[in-house]
Formats: sequence, structure tokens, C-alpha cells
Amino acid sequence: MTVRPTPGLVWRAAVPWMLAGLLAVALPYVLTSGFALSLLCRMAIAIVFALSFNMLLGQGGMLDFGHAVFLGFGGFAALHAMKFADAGVWLPAPLLPVVGALGGLAAALLAGWVATKRAGTAFAMITLGVAELAVAGVLLFPGVFGGEEGVSADRSAGPALLGYDFGSQSQAYAVIAAWAWAAALLMWVYTRTPLGRLANAVRDNPERVSFLGYDPARIRFRVFALSGLFAGLAGGLAALNDEIATSSNMGPEASGAVLLMTFIGGIGLFWGPVVGAVLITLLSVALGTVTDAWQLYSGLLFVAVVVWAPGGIAGVLSAHGPVLRAGRVGRLVPSYAVAAPGLALAVLGVVGLAELAFRLQAVRNGAQPRPVFGFVADPLAWGPWALAVALFVAGALWLRWAAPRARAAWQAAVQS
Amino acid sequence: MEQFLLILLNGAVYGLLLFMLSSGLTLIYGMMGVLNLAHASFYMLGAFLAYTISVRIGFWPALVVAPLLVGVLGALVERWGLRAVHKHGHVAELLFTFGLAFIIGEVVPLVWGRTPVPYKVPSSLDWPLFQIAGNAYPAYRLFMMAVALAMFVALFATLARTRLGLVVRAALTHPDMVGMLGHDVPRVFTLVFGAGCALAGLAGVIAGNAFTTEPGMARALGAIVFAVVVMGGLGSLWGALVASLLIGFVQTASIALDLPLGAALARVGVAVPLDWLSDLWKVSIARVAPVVPYALLILVLALRPRGLMGTRSA
Amino acid sequence: MLAGLHKAFGPTRIIQGVDLEVLPGERHAVIGPNGAGKSTLFHLVSGRLSLDAGRVSLGGEDITGLPPHAIFNRGLARSFQVTSLFPKLSVFENLRAGAMRGHGCGHAFWRALDGYGPLRARAEDVLHQVGLERRRDVLAGNLAYAEQRALEIGVTIAGGASCILLDEPTAGMSRAETERAVQLIRAVSVGRTLVMIEHDLGVVFELADRISVLAEGRVIATGVPDAVRANPAVRTAYLGAAAEALHG
Repeated sequence: MTVRPTPGLVWRAAVPWMLAGLLAVALPYVLTSGFALSLLCRMAIAIVFALSFNMLLGQGGMLDFGHAVFLGFGGFAALHAMKFADAGVWLPAPLLPVVGALGGLAAALLAGWVATKRAGTAFAMITLGVAELAVAGVLLFPGVFGGEEGVSADRSAGPALLGYDFGSQSQAYAVIAAWAWAAALLMWVYTRTPLGRLANAVRDNPERVSFLGYDPARIRFRVFALSGLFAGLAGGLAALNDEIATSSNMGPEASGAVLLMTFIGGIGLFWGPVVGAVLITLLSVALGTVTDAWQLYSGLLFVAVVVWAPGGIAGVLSAHGPVLRAGRVGRLVPSYAVAAPGLALAVLGVVGLAELAFRLQAVRNGAQPRPVFGFVADPLAWGPWALAVALFVAGALWLRWAAPRARAAWQAAVQS
Repeated sequence: MEQFLLILLNGAVYGLLLFMLSSGLTLIYGMMGVLNLAHASFYMLGAFLAYTISVRIGFWPALVVAPLLVGVLGALVERWGLRAVHKHGHVAELLFTFGLAFIIGEVVPLVWGRTPVPYKVPSSLDWPLFQIAGNAYPAYRLFMMAVALAMFVALFATLARTRLGLVVRAALTHPDMVGMLGHDVPRVFTLVFGAGCALAGLAGVIAGNAFTTEPGMARALGAIVFAVVVMGGLGSLWGALVASLLIGFVQTASIALDLPLGAALARVGVAVPLDWLSDLWKVSIARVAPVVPYALLILVLALRPRGLMGTRSA
Repeated sequence: MLAGLHKAFGPTRIIQGVDLEVLPGERHAVIGPNGAGKSTLFHLVSGRLSLDAGRVSLGGEDITGLPPHAIFNRGLARSFQVTSLFPKLSVFENLRAGAMRGHGCGHAFWRALDGYGPLRARAEDVLHQVGLERRRDVLAGNLAYAEQRALEIGVTIAGGASCILLDEPTAGMSRAETERAVQLIRAVSVGRTLVMIEHDLGVVFELADRISVLAEGRVIATGVPDAVRANPAVRTAYLGAAAEALHG
């Protein structure tokens, strides 16, 4: 009996990683502006953070409402290390994320020791408590964590390495991208180890795991610690990028944000959180400048995914994999094309309502009506409101009629 | 002495207010196994709706209409949202209510703005009841207590006297048997969820004008309410009541006794080396107090999952 | 093996002083009417429920009060009456999870699972044994009922435990499926101690070396099949018509 994986399989697994690496190297040559570079850095950090979050939620069945705590402690640890480096300790900037990872690990060992004794809802509630406690607790020690202002330092003041001081955004990008790539690879490798597989088993059926010779709580604890390590690494990268760490970075809002992006991307597949991190980071920048209701839209998207597509974007995409490989995409086009306008109408209606509500606020406070995505609508008149509601209702009815047909078409394409 | 009495009075008001939220939350959890993370958001909605209604037609109609609206909204959410994700398990339900809290937290500032709204105590109740510890004690506080107690009596009467109450009580003690009671269980779920939300809404109506009605109010209270129900023992109404009052008193007392921690410890005879962890001893009790419920939440869940008075573990 | 077990749920005493000895290497069936406490007995032995009184020993070692994973690591594996698998893992992954502990797999996160050669081979072996080769990469949650039952036995035996408890392995199966399950149980129990709860008396008399009859929380008879069949107490308490039918 052969026990070695065939070389072909190893290559197939390596290709996406090499492509991702090439992409990371090539992107700064294409997108040269400082804005684009800092956006890429944000994305890389979000990817590591979301992947570490999914080690718990998607792979281990643990819903952590306080994951940003580990990011936060990683950031503080890295910043204090940066300060030491500024003061003359030999610690070049590329090594700071390691300190961040250790900070995240330490926090996760402490929190995990309590939280992983339980699973399910109780686990989630403990992490909620941990999140609140950490933020409130950090503010009690202004000497260490800098109070409301946080801790800041200068990444370029440390020792140079091979002539680079990592002060410029492009040099910082190189460090961050390299670490993000390596961390993602390590987290993928982890899924193929005994612990990674045991985490899946504990997610599916903890009781059975205990009857196969493993203590589920111990498995959860180890997974939690590793996840905290990578979250801390993300925090270290963020510290390197921002040169500041504050208590608000580790609060419930930050934890909620990573939950949103991970789940929207998809928790069932390894690359799902990557999709979510890239998409949400992009959208937050693209939409954040256009509208103040961006947070609302991400929340609505999240609930829509929870209710209608629990597999997230990655889940929806991979559900079309078999159809794609069988070359039957053509069969889906008609029914999908019929459903698309319904979706567009419904989204337009929701966006219209949200934007009108926001304009109404602004106008009441004395501002002039501003255009909404190019349209000028008077929020004090009833016409635009009626239009938005009509669009939404029409879209919803359309989808109720067309969505089941699209689903049926997909099912037929998969099965035949 | 008067100082102590004032703490007791304010603690009771705050504790009863917490109970208005924790009772609904614990009923919903006990029956459906769903921890409604959006519970405090319904409390916030109650306050904002009451503000809007009270500026149009007055406080008294708002006292009735706003909780009803919140209750109907809660029932709709259960019927058209929560029920759809129920088949995906508890984590999906938890995620759904989390998303709901997130959305309500964004919609409220969109509709009412990001700053506090001027939701005022009605003039008929806006007079000093008596003088205590050099302060005038507002009559509205007594009204709040009365509403909370009335709700409390109505809730227990419903549970003890009606058929619906019987089903709910049976479900609390034997959650896996709900399906066998021969009742339309989904409808009972919708009713309980709606009623729980209405109670939270009522709490918002009477608390919004006593404190401040602003978009951060759900965030501020939400986590405390979770701490309360966990401490009381999930699914236990008496436990929720005891824990609510306990947290109410502790929080109120710690804000009133605004001393640095080190000085407070010194006063009760514990000498701390002031150079060690010096940051900590300089912090006032009022700033440490908010941390206490979360620390208790974590400890209770980890060490005594059944809570103070619960019979089941989380 | 078991001495003076007691278990009560509130006022209801389910197990009232069970003494039972299972000999090494034998196939031992536990039978009894519904509500006799058979499954509860398995839960007590395997550590799922805690004992009120009594002792459980395994090969001379006292395992009373140990958690399930510790009991497994001393060589006792069990299956479940209600199928208990990892629905989102493939059939192969399920079997491998069952075999991991027995092949020196700790909680390592620095070593590829595919690198454990003997573990992989063992999972493949059991895959053949339970006859699911063609379903190797199907998610366990997507299997047909009888296939899940076969996998349940496979996961239980994959770790190579010396003593195996099977809780109603053939429940809900058709005649042909039961036939196949009996062959499977016969094959996997070679060289091991097997204790099984079974309702199908045909299966019991075909497989068991010895039988114990449990009624109202007590063992009312233990012995070779013929002795149990002839025992008047058993006939009145439980077997009755079924035994007559078997005698023809």
C-alpha cells in the first residue's frame, strides 16, 4: 500500500501559493501610489487576522467575540519592542511581528485557559466577557498601554537590516506581505496536521472525539492558542504599518469586524476568509469615502449571508465548481440572468432608503441636499422615499419568483 | 446613612431596570436556546421610538405604543429571520442576532442622528419627591420602580396563571420536551421572542429619559445584561432577578464611592505596596467597577456554569 | 469486569447493582427488554455517565470514574446506538480520526498528518474491512443509513482497542444489511473482546459466545446461549415467545 502523497498532488497544492506570492511581489509595481500601497498593507493584515479567526470559527466550531484582543495585545507587544529598538536594542523591524505573535499567544493562553473549557454558546459568551474585560482592563494601566492615546513609536528608528530602515511605505509593504504570505501558508499547513484535523472533528462532534482518546477541551485550548499566535502576528504587522497601538483596536467593534469579513468570505473553505478580507477592505475604502452608511451595508450583507448563504462567497463560488468543470455554465446563464435584475432592484431599494435616511439627518441639521451616487434627491419630499420602497418591494417579489428557479437550474446542472 | 439610603434606592432602580432586560433575555434563552445578542438593541429602539412618539402625541401614549412596536418588530424578526437560520444550529442563530444588533446599531444613528436626542421626563412626573443626602430625589425614579414592579407582577402572573405560561414554564425546566407539549411550538417561540423584546422596549421607554437616549446606549448596557443572565443561571427568572439587583447595587455603590483603589483598600485595612503595579492603585473604584461584571461572567461560566440559581448549564 | 454498579437519575434507579464479568477474547451479548438499562450500562462503563456506586475494571486495571478519553486510551472503544460520526469529514477522515490515537498521533501541529504512514495504511485497511472503499471521499453526513452504521463500527475499531462495546450495531437495518453487519462484526472481533447490545435475537445467537440478560437494572442471567435460552427466569422475564420461535 502506498502511503506517500503523489508528487502531482503536492504540485497542485503549491501552485496557488506560488501565484499568490508572485501577485504579492508584482502588485506594488502596478499600483505604485502610496494610497494603494497602504491599502495593500491593510489587506494583507486583514487576511492574516481573518484566517486566524477562522481557525476557531470555521475549522474549530468556536465563535470568538473577542478575537481582536489578541490582535491588540500583539500590537502592544510589537510596539513596546519597537520602542526598545528605538532605544538601541538590536531588533530590526522585520522581526517585530514575531514579538507581536508572542504577545497574542500569551494573551490567548490566558483567555483560552478559561474559555476553552466550554464550547458553543458558553464559549462565545466567555469571549464576549474577555473582550469587554480586556479593553476596560487595558485602560486601567495607562503606564503600559498609554491610556486612550495608546502607544506609538517609529519603525524606522530601529537598526537597519541590509541597508533598509523600513521607514518607507514600500519597504514596510515588503515586510508585511512576506509575513502575511508565510503566515497564511503556515495556517494552511496546520489544517493538514493532526491538531488541525482534530479541530475539525471537535467542531463536528466533540463527544465522539472524547471516545476516540482525545480530550476535546485540550484540543480547543491548543487551537485557541495557535489562533491567538497568528492574530498577534497580524497585530504585530498592524503595529509595523500604523506605528501605533490603541485599546480601541482590540475592542468589541474590531472583533465584530473580523467576524463580519470572515463570515461574508466563507468559513467552510480555507480561502474563504481571504476573499472576505480583500473584499471588505476594498469596499470599506471604496464605499467609505462615498457614503456614511457603509457599516450598515456590511451588516446587511452579513445577515443576508447568514440567512441565505451560510457558506459565504467562497461557498457560493465553490458550489459552482462542479458545474464549471463539467462545462455546463451555459445552462445557468438564462435563469441567473432572470434573477439578477430582481437582486439589483432590491439592493437599489435598500441603498436608496439608507441614503435618504442619512440625507434627511443631514438636511435637518442644516446641510444642503447632496447628490446620492450622482442623483440629487430631496429627502424632505415623499417621492424619493416611495420610489425606494417601490424598488425594494418589486425586487423582493421578483427574487421570490426567480430565486427558486435559479436554484433549481443550479441543482439540475450539478446533478446531470 | 442618607448616602447609603440613596445608593440603595438608585441601586434598586438600576437593578429593576436590568431585570426588565434580563427577564426577557433569559425567557428567550430558556425556551429557544438562543442568546439574543440584539436584546439591548431592542431596549435602545424602545427609547428612540418613545422619544419620537412623545414629541408628537406625548409620553403616556408612548409608554404603551413604543413597547408594542418593539414587540411586533421582535416577533417579525423571529418569524422571518431567526426561524430561517434555526436549522443551521445555535452558532448560526447567535451570528444572526449579532448581525441584527449590528444593523440596529447602524440604523438608529441613521434615523435619529449620532448625538443624544432630547427625550425628556414628562412634566407631570418631573418634580422632586424628597430631599436625600443633599439631593432632590426625582419622582420619576419612583415611577420607574413602579413600572418595573408592575411588569414583574404581570410577568409572574402570566407565567403562573395562563396556559401559555404553563407551556413556557414546562419548556424552561425540560427544554427538550417542548416539542411534545402538543402546542404550536413555533408560534409560542414567536410570542415569547416578541414579548421579551417588548419588555426590553418598555425598559427603554422608561429609562431613556431618566438617563440619556443615544446610539451607544445598547452597547453600554448589552454586555452587562449578558453578565446578569449568566450569573443568575440561564433560564432562571429568580436568578435573573437576584443577579440584576446585585449588579445594580454594586455598580451604583462603586460609582458613589469614588476613591482610588489603593486608598479604598487601605481604608479596609489592606496595605498595598504603592510602587508595585502603581497604575492600578491610583485608579478609582468607579473605573474598576465596570470591569467586575465581565470578570464575574467569565468566572461563573468557567467554574459554575449553572450560575447562581440555575439548574441547567449554558 | 463490572462490580456492583449503581446509577440513579433523580428518583429513578436505572441500574441497581449490576455485576458482570466479560472474559478476554469472548463475544458477549447484553440483551433485555426496552428500558432495562442496557445503554445506560454502556454509558457507565465508557465514562459518558458517572457512577453513583460500584467499580469498573478493564483487564485488572480500575477505570472507575475516568473520563472517556482516558478509558479509550486504556483499550476500550465504543460505538453509539444513535450514529455519532463527523458529518463534515470524509469517510476516510472519519476512520483516520478513529485510528489516530492508537497510532501515536498526539496533538502535533508541526507534522503533516499524511506523513503518518502506518496510520494511513490502517485507515485504508478498515475502509476495506467495512466495505466502503467506493465511498472513501464522500462526506460521512451524505452516506446512506446502513453505510453510516458500518462506518460507526469502523471508527470504533480503527483505533485497535482490545475491548469493544457495540450499542445495537444492526438497529434499523434490513435483513440483507444485517447479514453483512454480522459478517463485519465477526471479522472485526477476531482477537478482541466484544460486548454488544442487540435486539435482534437472531444476531445474538449467531454471534455471541455468552449472553447476559438485563432486566429492571439487574443481570438476571449470564451464560452460554443454550443455557440462557433454557433459563426459566429469562423465559418469563423477557424471551418468552421469541425463544419459543427460535426453538421452532
